[in-house]
Amino acid sequence: MSGRHRSPIPGLVTLAGVLFLWLPLLVVVLFSLHETASLSFPFDGFSLRWYERVFESAEVRSAVQSSLVVATTTALTTLVLATLAAYGMSRARSRWRAPLALLFFLPITLPGLFIGVALLIAFTRTETSLSLVTVTIAHLVYVFPFFFVLARAALDRLDPALEEAAADLGANGRTVFRRVTLPQVWPVLVGAAALAFALSFDEFIITFYVVGPDPTLPLYIWSSLRKTIDPSINAISTLLLAFTVLLFVVTFALASWSERRRRGAVDPLALAGAEEAR
Amino acid sequence: MSAEARVRIEDVRHRYGSVTALDGVSLDIADGELVTLLGPSGCGKTTLLRIVAGFERPVEGRVLLTGEDVTRLPAHRRATNMVFQRPTLFPHLDVFANVAFGLQVAGVARSEQRARVQEALRLVRLDGYERRRSHELSGGQMQRVALARALVNRPKVLLLDEPLSALDLKIRLEMEVELRRVHRETGATFVYVTHDQREAMALSDRIAVMNAGRIEQLGVPTEVYRRPTSVFVAQFVGDANVLPVEVVEAGAEEAVVRLGDCRHNVHCPHPARGPAWLVLRPEAVEVRAADAAAGRDDAGSLRGVVRDVAFRGTGFGCRIELPALGAQVKAEGPGAAPPFAVDDAVRVDWRPESGWLLPREGGEAAPPPIAEPDAAAAEARA
Repeated sequence: MSGRHRSPIPGLVTLAGVLFLWLPLLVVVLFSLHETASLSFPFDGFSLRWYERVFESAEVRSAVQSSLVVATTTALTTLVLATLAAYGMSRARSRWRAPLALLFFLPITLPGLFIGVALLIAFTRTETSLSLVTVTIAHLVYVFPFFFVLARAALDRLDPALEEAAADLGANGRTVFRRVTLPQVWPVLVGAAALAFALSFDEFIITFYVVGPDPTLPLYIWSSLRKTIDPSINAISTLLLAFTVLLFVVTFALASWSERRRRGAVDPLALAGAEEAR
Repeated sequence: MSAEARVRIEDVRHRYGSVTALDGVSLDIADGELVTLLGPSGCGKTTLLRIVAGFERPVEGRVLLTGEDVTRLPAHRRATNMVFQRPTLFPHLDVFANVAFGLQVAGVARSEQRARVQEALRLVRLDGYERRRSHELSGGQMQRVALARALVNRPKVLLLDEPLSALDLKIRLEMEVELRRVHRETGATFVYVTHDQREAMALSDRIAVMNAGRIEQLGVPTEVYRRPTSVFVAQFVGDANVLPVEVVEAGAEEAVVRLGDCRHNVHCPHPARGPAWLVLRPEAVEVRAADAAAGRDDAGSLRGVVRDVAFRGTGFGCRIELPALGAQVKAEGPGAAPPFAVDDAVRVDWRPESGWLLPREGGEAAPPPIAEPDAAAAEARA
């Protein structure tokens, strides 16, 4: 291999791509730790003062609290509803199964703008006053298809013969679900719930249309940016970034752990033997 | 058979869409019996087993367990347990929890659960494996756990759906011995589905040979093998030569048949005169060199030419062409060295008691081929 000429261009293009993706984020993280209020170089040294200011601000605390309440409610409600929907879909024998599944999944392709406007019209028509409740309802609409797709994929991968075996051993439908189905898919479901939480927590466009007097965190950031450019925004953004990344890591780790566990459950040697026997 | 069968299947009919899977099946199974449903794929044997288990509800007919009509009971409320074709151990539970599953669901006390699981694992020779997970077991061990998981519930009938078909031949043979032992030791009633006629003969008290949604013959293995009631059974159970003959004399015990230019006696009660099929098992076909027969009475034997010789481990198998019939016969016999070479001239003979006659409609010259697996029925079920 040595001595073989390799062009530097692919490497440089890759580096440029990575920098393009990450540099703006790094700048935000860097200036969240800036000593002074200046948002431009030269950099005058590190400090945690903007973080302190964020934690002291009652407005920020209230926005964070709103976002946490909305995201938690959204994630838990989706967990129950979308799991039931996905389980029903993957076990139903009806010929309406495929079209219905498509209806459950299709909203994933709708623009947030469309969902936002549609919900605002619906809330106005039904004279529902805008509040965190309407925000939560909007987030449910938005997050449901994401959860549904993940849960459906996990449930479809299960061997239906396992559920039949459990029924044969005397378990009724509920017991089969609780003792055989759920223990095999819960890591995926928890991961999907974490994803639902993250999606809800930093949702902006739909929230913008249906939000009431209490802003969620993304809306608070947006409105404070409109007034002045306060460096504490950098601190909030950095915290938000860290939190979201953490949730995605949890999602991914749970999904891949469950996948490994599932693979490990089938002995590849036994399968090879079965193939030969045929 | 006792007045009340352990399992009674009454005129069960079932369809998947327009495909008929079961076309009127009735069967009584006695206490402690091991009955095999044997047939090619698509013959309805698995459908029948699933109807007994409660996974399918028959379109017509009834299923009774110890006299009680269970046709409308769902699987989880029936005292039947099943060992599936593929290993279906719960991957998130260890061996102990798998075996204890049915007892737990039934609310059996913990101390009794432990005792019964231990006993079941001892029965399948897997004591000490309680804490293993299914991916730490071999295919044969997984099926033994599945057997323990089913038997621990003391079902009224144990259903086995081709439990050995996913295993290597060697392990399959060992598992047959194990299954026979478990059946003897528990005295439980087994209904066993297989497409492997060798397995069926080795295991069963009685065999129900199924074809196209019906039971073609029901009997003990030796009877099914030696006295098949149809050409299908003769060909599906074991290897068979099926030759067209004419019955020229029919008696109470014995008949005289003509095939080609030779007349031969066959032990078979009351055959109809006229066209018939002669069923000859390969091991019943006696072959000797043509010149060694010089000077003997050749009236009862047929002239043939060896076309193929194959070593079978326990002996040799030959294919012999019979010019007078325009057909080939398979012959098999023990021996250390090949008895003949290809193109040798031979005489073919058999003992009257080792042949069997079946009615032959009209003038068919060749036996019907065994039906191909019914792909449509298999798909409809999936």
